[in-house]
Amino acid sequence: MKIPKSIKWRLQIWYGLILVIVLAGFGVTAYQLERGRLFGRIDNELHRRVGILANALHRPPPRALGGNEQPFDRPPPGQFPDDGPPGQNLRPPLEFHLPPEAAGLFDTNDPNSFYFAIVSFRADAKAKEIARSTNFPNPPFNISIATESARAINAFSQLPVKLTAPTVQIIGNYREIDSLLPSGEMIYVGCSIAPELKELRRTALNLTAVGSLVLLIGLAGGWWLVSRAIRSIENISAAAVKISAGDLSQRINVAETESELGKLASVLNSTFARLDAAFAQQKQFASDAAHELRTPVSVILTQTQTALNRERTVPEYRETVEACQRAAQRMRKLIGALLELARLDAGQEQMKRMKFDLSQTTRSCVELIQPIADEHGIKIRCELPSLECVGDSERIAQVITNLLTNAIQFNKPDGEIRVAAQMRDGTAILAVSDTGLGIPAEDLPHVFKRFYRGDKSRTGGNTGLGLAISRAIVEAHGGSIEVSSGEDAGTTFTVRLPAA
Amino acid sequence: MRILIVEDEPDLLRSLAQALREEGYAVDTANNGEDGLFNAEGCDYDAIVLDVMLPKLDGWEILKRLRKTKKTPVLMLTARDQSRDRVRGLDTGADDYVVKPFDLSELFARLRALIRRSANKTTNVIEIGDVKIETAARNVSLQERPVELTAREYALVEFLALHRGEVVTRTQLYEHLFDENESSLSNLLDVHVSNVRKKLGAEFIVTRRGHGYCIE
Repeated sequence: MKIPKSIKWRLQIWYGLILVIVLAGFGVTAYQLERGRLFGRIDNELHRRVGILANALHRPPPRALGGNEQPFDRPPPGQFPDDGPPGQNLRPPLEFHLPPEAAGLFDTNDPNSFYFAIVSFRADAKAKEIARSTNFPNPPFNISIATESARAINAFSQLPVKLTAPTVQIIGNYREIDSLLPSGEMIYVGCSIAPELKELRRTALNLTAVGSLVLLIGLAGGWWLVSRAIRSIENISAAAVKISAGDLSQRINVAETESELGKLASVLNSTFARLDAAFAQQKQFASDAAHELRTPVSVILTQTQTALNRERTVPEYRETVEACQRAAQRMRKLIGALLELARLDAGQEQMKRMKFDLSQTTRSCVELIQPIADEHGIKIRCELPSLECVGDSERIAQVITNLLTNAIQFNKPDGEIRVAAQMRDGTAILAVSDTGLGIPAEDLPHVFKRFYRGDKSRTGGNTGLGLAISRAIVEAHGGSIEVSSGEDAGTTFTVRLPAA
Repeated sequence: MRILIVEDEPDLLRSLAQALREEGYAVDTANNGEDGLFNAEGCDYDAIVLDVMLPKLDGWEILKRLRKTKKTPVLMLTARDQSRDRVRGLDTGADDYVVKPFDLSELFARLRALIRRSANKTTNVIEIGDVKIETAARNVSLQERPVELTAREYALVEFLALHRGEVVTRTQLYEHLFDENESSLSNLLDVHVSNVRKKLGAEFIVTRRGHGYCIE
């Protein structure tokens, strides 16, 4: 048989099975107890009657039969062969006389009442019936006589009789006890157990009915419980299906936060929310990146299509090619920045962990950028005491260069840049300040966002990713970067790095 | 036809202006929002090509302010192709939009359609007597024979044809056929008018003394 894959069905089958086993065990035990109780009562009655019947057997008074005739109680050991050949046993049969006070125990006219029979087995293997109640049922008697006589004969073939415990058996609708007396008489006492059997059948029927009812109620209750439990799982899986189909706004309805499933749903919901946010961010990033690439592509398309419209002079072609080159350079710069950010995002960019002097790194950055500053007539003032840091000096240099470039670009003509480093509480702090126009307060929280530009344009040819990359690098070092600015008060970027 | 381009990417601005001039348009340019708005408000352009992302004033803001005074057809250049942005552009009062990167031919076609619609014309063909003007192909024919016109002459014919029945002043013609860099020598226009008359018949353009020119 194929086991259903559904948890609901499996649970149902399992506890259905357990319920059946428990109920069956209980039912069988109850039945057996009832049966024992009923038959025990009957057996007691049977045993009592056997005792009475045994007492009603009398040895006839001894007759004078020669001197060797002795009262016979039991063949003395070893004397049996002296009794002569089988069939010539002189032992007289016992006489049976039921005392009147005991006669009431056997209603000999009622076929359902107790019956009896007494059979004497002689050594010659002939059974002689001593007494028999009139209501003795024929077939069971015969059967029992036939079988039991053989057993008795066996027993008697080697007298003295080995006493066996009285055996009780059920023959058809009768319960019968056969007891072998030491004297060789077999007493059969039995009675009809039809009413008891009927009662037992009724008991069995009742037990089955009650058991089935309990089983049904159990299965129904179980189904309800399992369905309730499964419904939460189904809710979760329905939400998960919708989410996997792309609808990230889906959430699981968390009704029972206290239950295990409620907790699971909460955990899943917060995971979905994070996924949703990450996806939205990625989508925005991809859209921004595509957007940034559109303008240089437009330049190339427009330039080339214009140039190809008609024959051009060599200088015109040259101008077109130069414009295309500028556009391509810009795209290259942008693609480089995008890839770098993607790697930083994925945590693939390995930061070296080497000791380096932050001030020395800063000084070499300043030296590199000095010509550009000179072009803009901007002075750079440095306060750089030696500061030991741990990290990737090349990547930190990238951050510093980027901050210096920004400070030049957004400075006023003939302005000033101040670069200061200091150590405070185990943190190296580097501040780059300019004397530019400052960043408006509403733009300040966004300057580290990707593609965020204060003036919503592409002037200056920067990618709009520089500060985002700087922040990613600094954070990969376990540091932080902050900006503070006031209108006309210039802008200060502060980088904090863990010291060595 | 005189067109204003407002675009902050210098290479794009230069090549767009060149391409449009070669199409026979008079072209003014602005590389930031403030200048763009100043130009747009100060002159009757036949169409404005307006970039969305601009320094100082962005395209949306220019459009909003311009719509208070002028109905000049505006074609937005946008790098965002999400319908949200397009809807916003059209709702703010833009007449059309082109998503970057675009093909020049598409931009031209859209500009022609914009200008045609603003003159309440629905087809690309204008027929005046024996003269047939196909604005898409920029062809003019007289009695089914093609007539060779210079770009400026064609612009003159097209502008007058689009304003058929109206008297167009010399100032208007200067405004629409020449850009701000061209010296408005008064006889330059007369030269063009006389050349057109030679090619399409003396009666094609009627002179209204003291007022201007007219195609009837």
